[in-house]
Amino acid sequence: MADYKLIGKNYSTADLVAKVTGRAKYAEDFRADGMLFAKLLPSPMPHARVRSIDTSAAEAMPGVEVILTADELPPVDAPNEAGLTNEPVYEGEPILAVAAVDETTAADAIERIRVELEPLPFAVDPLESLRPGGPDARLDGNTMANSELTTIKWNDVDWAAIDRGEMPTDGPITDEWEVGDVEAGLAEADLVLDETVFHQSMGHQPLETRTAMAYWQNGKCYLYVSTQSTLRTHGPAARGIGIAPEDLVLVSEYCGGGFGSKIAGFVQMRLPALLSQKAGKPVMMRITRQEEHFIGRARPGLQGRVKIGYRSDGRITAMDMFFVQDGGPYGFSTDFMNAADQASLMYQPLSHRLRGLSVYTNTPPRSAQRAPGGLQAVSMIAPIMQKAANQLGIDPLELIRINAPAGQAKLGRPTNGEQGNVSSAFVREAADIGESTFDWQAMRARSGRRNGSKVTGIGVALSSFNAGAWGMDGLLTIRPDGKVYIHQGVGNLGTGSVFDTARAAMEALQTDWDQAEVIWGDTSKHLPWSTVQAGSTTTHAHTRANLAAGEDAKRKLLEIAAGALGGSPDDYDVADGRVFRRDYPRQGLGFAQAARRAIELGGRFDGHELPGDLNPVTVTAATALAGLGLMGVARDNYPLGGRVISHAIGFAEVEVDLETGAVVLKDYRVSTDVGTVINPRTLEAQLHGGAIQGFSAALGQKWTYDRRWGLQVSKRFYSNRPPTMLDVPHEEPMQWVAQDKPDPFSPMGAKGIGETAEGAGSGAVLCAIADALGEGYFNRTPVMTDMILTRIENLPPAFSNLAAHV
Amino acid sequence: MEIFQWGTDPWGQEMLVRISWDLLYLAFWAGVAFIAFHIIYAVVWLPRLARANGAGAESGAAANVPARITRHTAAARYFHWVMAASMIALLITGFFPIVGIQFPWLTIHWVAGVLLTVSIVYHMVHATFFLDFWSIWILPSDLAEAWNRIRRQAGQQTAPIRKHGKYPLDHKLYHLAVTLAGLAVIGTGLVLMLRIDSIFWPRNAYFLADETWGLMYVIHGLGGVLFVTLTLTHVYFAIRPDKFWLTKSMILGYVDRDRYLEHHDPDRWVVSQESNKG
Amino acid sequence: MAVIRDMMPAFQLFQPTTTDEALGLLDQYQEQAWVLAGGLDSFDWLKDRVKRPAAVVDLGGVEELSAIRSATGGGLTIGAMAKLREVVRHPDVRSQYGLLAEAAGLVASPQIRNQGTLGGNLAQDTRCWYYRDGWNCYRAGGTICYADTPTAMNREHCILGASRCVAVNPSDTAPALVALDAEMDIRSSAGTRSVPAEQFFLGPDVDIMRMTVLEPNDLLAAIRVPGTWAGARFYFEKSRDRQVWDFALASVASAARITNGVIEDIRIAVNGVAPTPLRLRAAEDAVRGRQLTDEVAAQAGEAATAGVRPLAHNGYKVALLRNLVTRSVRGGEA
Repeated sequence: MADYKLIGKNYSTADLVAKVTGRAKYAEDFRADGMLFAKLLPSPMPHARVRSIDTSAAEAMPGVEVILTADELPPVDAPNEAGLTNEPVYEGEPILAVAAVDETTAADAIERIRVELEPLPFAVDPLESLRPGGPDARLDGNTMANSELTTIKWNDVDWAAIDRGEMPTDGPITDEWEVGDVEAGLAEADLVLDETVFHQSMGHQPLETRTAMAYWQNGKCYLYVSTQSTLRTHGPAARGIGIAPEDLVLVSEYCGGGFGSKIAGFVQMRLPALLSQKAGKPVMMRITRQEEHFIGRARPGLQGRVKIGYRSDGRITAMDMFFVQDGGPYGFSTDFMNAADQASLMYQPLSHRLRGLSVYTNTPPRSAQRAPGGLQAVSMIAPIMQKAANQLGIDPLELIRINAPAGQAKLGRPTNGEQGNVSSAFVREAADIGESTFDWQAMRARSGRRNGSKVTGIGVALSSFNAGAWGMDGLLTIRPDGKVYIHQGVGNLGTGSVFDTARAAMEALQTDWDQAEVIWGDTSKHLPWSTVQAGSTTTHAHTRANLAAGEDAKRKLLEIAAGALGGSPDDYDVADGRVFRRDYPRQGLGFAQAARRAIELGGRFDGHELPGDLNPVTVTAATALAGLGLMGVARDNYPLGGRVISHAIGFAEVEVDLETGAVVLKDYRVSTDVGTVINPRTLEAQLHGGAIQGFSAALGQKWTYDRRWGLQVSKRFYSNRPPTMLDVPHEEPMQWVAQDKPDPFSPMGAKGIGETAEGAGSGAVLCAIADALGEGYFNRTPVMTDMILTRIENLPPAFSNLAAHV
Repeated sequence: MEIFQWGTDPWGQEMLVRISWDLLYLAFWAGVAFIAFHIIYAVVWLPRLARANGAGAESGAAANVPARITRHTAAARYFHWVMAASMIALLITGFFPIVGIQFPWLTIHWVAGVLLTVSIVYHMVHATFFLDFWSIWILPSDLAEAWNRIRRQAGQQTAPIRKHGKYPLDHKLYHLAVTLAGLAVIGTGLVLMLRIDSIFWPRNAYFLADETWGLMYVIHGLGGVLFVTLTLTHVYFAIRPDKFWLTKSMILGYVDRDRYLEHHDPDRWVVSQESNKG
Repeated sequence: MAVIRDMMPAFQLFQPTTTDEALGLLDQYQEQAWVLAGGLDSFDWLKDRVKRPAAVVDLGGVEELSAIRSATGGGLTIGAMAKLREVVRHPDVRSQYGLLAEAAGLVASPQIRNQGTLGGNLAQDTRCWYYRDGWNCYRAGGTICYADTPTAMNREHCILGASRCVAVNPSDTAPALVALDAEMDIRSSAGTRSVPAEQFFLGPDVDIMRMTVLEPNDLLAAIRVPGTWAGARFYFEKSRDRQVWDFALASVASAARITNGVIEDIRIAVNGVAPTPLRLRAAEDAVRGRQLTDEVAAQAGEAATAGVRPLAHNGYKVALLRNLVTRSVRGGEA
């Protein structure tokens, strides 16, 4: 790896002190004079039509200022949501909002509002809706085909098989692709595993609920909101409120997690703005945990069938995937498609087919959740891989290696018969370094070890997911105070990448980090065009964009120095806050001097002339900053070798008590192909944090619906069970190792990791449980005490393997 | 005072839950009030009537009447007491917990209910085919006669009042009330057993629609509290000294000739030396 | 009228400093009063607006209710307001009644144990998710158990002793105190009465709307642990899905006297399987006076599950109960 000054080094991010001292201002920490508080009226039914609303008793209450109904919102096209509705399609969907002088008054007012609802047919389980004569979650259909809402029923499939927990693959679907000949691939296989699989839906449950506060001044709306992205939330927020982007100032300095549920903010963020407009006062909308549970998005569950053919040497000849996706009531998630894309990369099957559809249900709205589809793919396929390894007599890690992608490996849905490719994959290398660092063979030797009624299980799983984007802009100014101001349009989601990626610019300038100021979290602070703070794109996209800006600044520094001190720019170099002669380093200019010189020169030096390929958003921002100092501004035009994907291999050790069904995760280790490591500390946080979310999927987090009513009964953390601190291995610190092999097609070679990390945790744990139980494969997540005991005791299962939301 | 207890279903829609327990207290106090009224009536009004009518035992066509006349067969008496016992058990198990005397009541309640059902079914068959079926039902002539009695008690001149047949109108009225209330609680009670775990079937609270269930609880409750009033007044009459000969007849099965002749019209309740079977 | 959750309404808050003052308030407000101990159960109810008391009586300031004292003649008296953390850390509890220390130490999470009290843990309401969510079930005064219908989700409900309602008692310390043969001191303005731990809990067969014998004007004042089982061989185990902050799927507590390998005497109690903590007399009888072997322990497990009636989703609890009871007799590390 290259010898970097900043890259790959630990440091403390600029927001750290504010966070640990509680001074960081999250959306709900802001206050404005005369601020009102908003409360939402949630639907008590899974699907209903509002017949009438009587707000008279609420309006008569002292302190109640305004009420906003769905009729007052800018309209949206089906199947999208508006934030308030007259046809709620899931329990908890807001019907109207009340703003009052305090939250208690607002809540009391909600209780006094009489809403007459007409119950409508509802579906909780996608398969319920596909059943002939089954209910549809929406009045306009139960699925979407070719971007049109439509209704599909499976009239001619074997429903008795479904009731037994076996997924047939002959039902009508909306989406299909094939690479090679899957039937032939299966026919030539020495071993075919054919499994019905189930992955649960899971709420995002970020620590910070989706809060927003808004007020209006001189026709401009100021919105303080909990969102993952900053710049990329700005447009959607303005559209949601119904104003031009220049009339909106969006502030989001900190975000307590989103996991994909707040990528561009959230649909209800318009509500405080519209309430404020109506009331003429600032309005704060704090979302409670229970509200968050409903409106806070969820990962689509999958019900499916996976067939994999293996040659006796372990090579996968064919992979056939069939999925029914639980699409929630709105929009369209692509999880089942992503699952196939990622599987096609991870396992490089010689032939591959995807068939599937997404079915609407009256359960919380879905959105991308950390590795959307990628997690499901690993959770469902890793145990099948391990089963195959056992049956073929191959070390499971070796089976990963045998099928691993390498170099610019192919992946995904073909266009015109051709699959795309990734920019790089160093999976075998990650397997090697994991095997040696973690002593995999010694781990494997512990498999099956008994300790009283407890038995040890060992699992390993490969996970891949998207890890990059490109074409963004970098923007910085070196000002007469000698500091480098790096403007970041990405959000501060808590991953640290808003700071980590700024270091690429300082690396280009070979200047200490304490000379940098990162500007973020407020759209009035002139932010450049950015990726969404999602899809694990930031690290890749913005090391590139900031490097481009840094290199642009460096070129300008060299030119200024040459102009001021003579010689050609090539005679100069930049480091430690100076531009200086290579052959006589004492001669040069400090950044402060260079900045003043740039202002004198004007033109492109101080941002009065801008490159022609910048995004208009960046042009606006740069224009506002012009003349403040030397401007480094550039679009990321670096080369690209393909889709950017990172990889992680998780190694887990569990202990399963055969008498109580209790699972204790004893150890988790992870090796990764993440390109160049930018910040070891934040990488560790992502590798482990992602894995913990994977443990959640594998071991406990789920929700439960009573189908008679279509209502959820597990609304509290203690009943939907995300993992706690003590569910994470804690006797020894979890280990990790990164290959630190740069992606050859990126100047700095960095890739994202946040999403990749999750599947590795989930897959490894599921394999470890199966290993402990001696071929105890469930093909269903999460695996919990009741399922384990039911299996051990050979009891009749309480629910079908395909049953959703139990 | 409330008549019904309303609740909401999980969707927030209003639904009928059961009768308000205010009605239990109402039924209790109604029974007490009736008894108080009757005591006053018996103490103040009846002697006056008796004096006015010059009441006394009539002698007459009694030659053929045996010394003991069978009023209730053994079978009928067993039925009555089984029914009474199960009814008391049902009232105690049904209502004591509501008024604050708590104990595990449910199993006793449904077992007693099943026992009551069996005894009532037996009674219906027995009374229909083996007893004088019409003797207990109110006939148009009963009503005409009752009207005359009321007029006479109010001091008006009427045709002579005939004595009763086997069952006087008040007994028939009581029987009718018990029949209606009994059928209501039994019918609903049996259906309500679907809501609890029993040895007969797996419970299923969704067997009927919520509103139907609500109606079941209301009818069961109304029947139940009506029985509070009916039982109170029944016990009151049973222990009244002037009615005790009737109570005795439900224990021993017969009435004495004197009582028979005093209260009944032999033409309307025909007994003979042989007719001791009732 | 619309329903809103997660937003505490206004109520009158009383913060008495003596028990008598607290009892006076309970007399004054009767059914309208709500006794607040650590708040872990209460605040859920209040925030969700499902229970709406007019007056909340916070016992946090009543110092006399939180003392832990050794009783003359053996045993311990633990004030109902003693924090679970204090119970866990108390040297006498640890040395003599490790069963209680262990049970209290497995309640919820460290944060909750810092705030939660022993009395609150004993008197807490059930966690049936239908009932907690405000469904108008038997326990809420209705005429239905939503957790036992053809579509009910009842993985965490009871397998024994149900009567219409199938909710379970969630307390971790209750089975330990039943096993230790503790007594509950209950105070009202009429005086103090004492109830054995076993009889402190009420099943739905007797009162479907209460979990304990506490009347509206009663306070659980103290828990008296007799010296009888001091230093006995204890076993406590809690089965749960997460390693912390989870209610028991089933829990077992046992206290045994074993001499020369013979079980002289034993008390076994379980929770999470029935509407009340359950003392398992049949299991005790199956092993009392017998040599402790794995077979004998297994017989206790079998005896424990006699008469079980699992619901659609909790058949696994039968095996869990059997195995936990077996383990509690067998002894060793949980």
